[in-house]
Amino acid sequence: MASIAHPEALRHVRRLERVWSERPGVLGWLTTTDHKRIGLLYLFASLAFFGAGGVEALLIRTQLLTPHGTTLSPAAFDQVMTMHGVTMIFLFVIPISTGAFGNYLVPLMIGARDMAFPRLNALSFWIFVASGLFMYTGLITGNGPNAGWFDYVPLASRTYNPGSGIDFYALGLIFNSISSTAAAINFIVTIFKLRAPGMSLNRMPLFCYAFLAVSFALVFALPALSVDCLFLELDRRLGFNFFNSAQGGSVLLWQHLFWIFGHPEVYIIILPAFGIATSIIPTFTRRRMVAFPMVALAEILVAFIGFGVWAHHMFSVGLSTITTVYFAAASMMVVIPSAIQLFAWLTTLVTGTPIFKTPLLWIIGFIVFFIIGGLSGIMFAAIPFDQQLTDTYFVVAHFHFIIFGAAVFPLLGGLHYWFPKVTGRMYHEPRAKLAFWLTFGGSALAFFPMHIVGLLGMPRRVYTYAPGLGWDIYNQLETAGAYVVACGLVLLVANLVVSYFRGEPAPPDPFGGATLEWSIPSPPPAYNFAVIPTVTSPYPMWDVADREADERKLEQGVMVLERGHETPATTVLDADLDEVLEMPSDSAWPILVALMLTGVFAMLLTGHLVPMYVFLGLLGVTVVGWHSVEPEEA
Amino acid sequence: MSAVSPKPARARLSMPSGWWGMALFIAAEATLFGTLFATYFYFRFSTAKWPPAGVPEPKVALPLILTGVLVASTAPVFLGGRAARAGNVRAAWLFFFAALLIQGGYLGVQVHEFTSDLAKFSPQDTAYASIYFTMLGVHHVHVALGMLLELWVLGKLLGGLTSYRLTGVRVTAFYWYFVSAAAIAVVLTQLYPAL
Repeated sequence: MASIAHPEALRHVRRLERVWSERPGVLGWLTTTDHKRIGLLYLFASLAFFGAGGVEALLIRTQLLTPHGTTLSPAAFDQVMTMHGVTMIFLFVIPISTGAFGNYLVPLMIGARDMAFPRLNALSFWIFVASGLFMYTGLITGNGPNAGWFDYVPLASRTYNPGSGIDFYALGLIFNSISSTAAAINFIVTIFKLRAPGMSLNRMPLFCYAFLAVSFALVFALPALSVDCLFLELDRRLGFNFFNSAQGGSVLLWQHLFWIFGHPEVYIIILPAFGIATSIIPTFTRRRMVAFPMVALAEILVAFIGFGVWAHHMFSVGLSTITTVYFAAASMMVVIPSAIQLFAWLTTLVTGTPIFKTPLLWIIGFIVFFIIGGLSGIMFAAIPFDQQLTDTYFVVAHFHFIIFGAAVFPLLGGLHYWFPKVTGRMYHEPRAKLAFWLTFGGSALAFFPMHIVGLLGMPRRVYTYAPGLGWDIYNQLETAGAYVVACGLVLLVANLVVSYFRGEPAPPDPFGGATLEWSIPSPPPAYNFAVIPTVTSPYPMWDVADREADERKLEQGVMVLERGHETPATTVLDADLDEVLEMPSDSAWPILVALMLTGVFAMLLTGHLVPMYVFLGLLGVTVVGWHSVEPEEA
Repeated sequence: MSAVSPKPARARLSMPSGWWGMALFIAAEATLFGTLFATYFYFRFSTAKWPPAGVPEPKVALPLILTGVLVASTAPVFLGGRAARAGNVRAAWLFFFAALLIQGGYLGVQVHEFTSDLAKFSPQDTAYASIYFTMLGVHHVHVALGMLLELWVLGKLLGGLTSYRLTGVRVTAFYWYFVSAAAIAVVLTQLYPAL
């Protein structure tokens, strides 16, 4: 529907534009409930946190460039290292994958006009930003969390860590998980209820399967973290005994609960990457994904098995043999769904006709690093190997190949793949390729020597090391690699910024993509789809007759739904048209609710209980205000 | 209280989005309680004497009676939901009001019990008391939250019924079924050392 000539069609489109327009200017962004604008807000905020986390990484590597480095003091190193982990996981990868990519793309791929709960979506974003700033307030004031991203007790207990850094961490993460839980529920309901007519579950794009699996994992994983942080705060603030072994508590309880959350979290981080890979590969190989149902099930299976492997992070803490053996076996099982997906990608690549544009390059880089990081992951499932190398740089090498190489590369590939759709401009291909090769080479240089230096015995999380241990050269290579990565990423961002202003105008479907987001103009209009599409396969854009039928419907005014903020709801399994929903329009309540909640957490942190109750009351008032505007009236 | 009936619509083929949202919220909440139960038994199985020395055995009769009362309050909640679906706003309002009264009484007695227990043994002394009070406290907060939802329903019903409010009534009832089920699990967990 690139150019609309038919006068009837034009009339419908004009009407939709009027119905779906939001407030202009900054106020429009603050009160928006448009999933695309919220997705962009998530993108910019998470990239800002990525910048902060990246600077922290460079500080760490600069400190470790030479023995007895003096860039950071030991206390500052602990805070910077902790915030690097917290930022990259909670404030970058999760928000950019679910928040930015999921928000922008899931409704477009399923043919919906918004998320199931648009105001809740806005609330998730504002809470995420507030929680990020909350934790960074700690770092900026010199009270950053300093016990590592997994914050083990007793180091994190009041006795050994009397400052407020750990309180920033514990309250900040409870705060943050409100946002992630709300977002996850929103995704599941959106995917269950708002799919276009005809998009039965077996016709849903694999990208949406990945996000469905991630959202379920978030719903069931985050409560364990929140409860763990609640216990920690009760111990620290009120002298409870959850982690006090002298009174019947247990320090291992923290680790169990943390990793019951933390291991599913690893798959929460990587599953969106799988989803992006399964979107990019078919487009650039010009064929359908091999073994579609197997890949869909594997995505869900990864999320499921992820809940049964947590104690493999705890092989060296003295659990019973039977426990460690069980968790080792369960961890080995993760190989099965991972290999299903890996071979499906490779077979699709080999049997298709690959076009090596930047998005596909990032996916191939992802596959390479996923194999390297996956192989070292299998090594850790061997208990004696893990006990030997736990807490060394070998672990750091493993999870950076997985988290940066495997989880972030597809996100960067996705940034290029959907850049024309979001901005209406093409990115500059040669510069984008150069940025890829710089980042790819830099990552290998930064992370591969960590295997060796880990085998040589260098412990992780240390602020410095002595000379003459044979570690110097590897640390220098790693630091050099880190700076090359930084150059690659700066080039990547600069290229996209320049392309945004100077790039060639992008057609609706520059790459011949398979999913519905390519059926609409670039950038997409506020109402997404002028006609709600009808879907007959998981590759709707390659069903040319269906899309032509949609265009005729626009001329006839069928399935245009233009009486208000309307989007259809369908049945959960078969996607039969059920009813037409009236969606809420832009609202100031979400940001106000988030502000009050920030007040509550800030007062909890500083221990001012009376103002805390005041904010709690105001929170109630804003929630009531929110619900005083019913979607039908909005 | 006007008697506006909900929009005449054909029967839905599937549950509304709001119902799914509440179902998933309850799934997250249930996991939260599951984590608390797991913590309780994690401590239990690493301690020989339970409850530990110096801590009184949990009461049996009163908590069971209170839980019975809370579970019984799901009856008016259920009837209120049914009345709302039939378009009978006045009956729905009265049923929810009755439920709110019962639950308010329940919470009052529970808070009194909570403070009197605190005077006898402190969470600052043992891990047992830490999880005991935390689990109870978390459940009481959920009861309070459910009552706030009912207050909201009562306020909304004063202005008549819309399909949006009907979904609100429905998910509030759903939430109460969960809070009642959680109450049974909490009370059985905490009573069992005395049985």
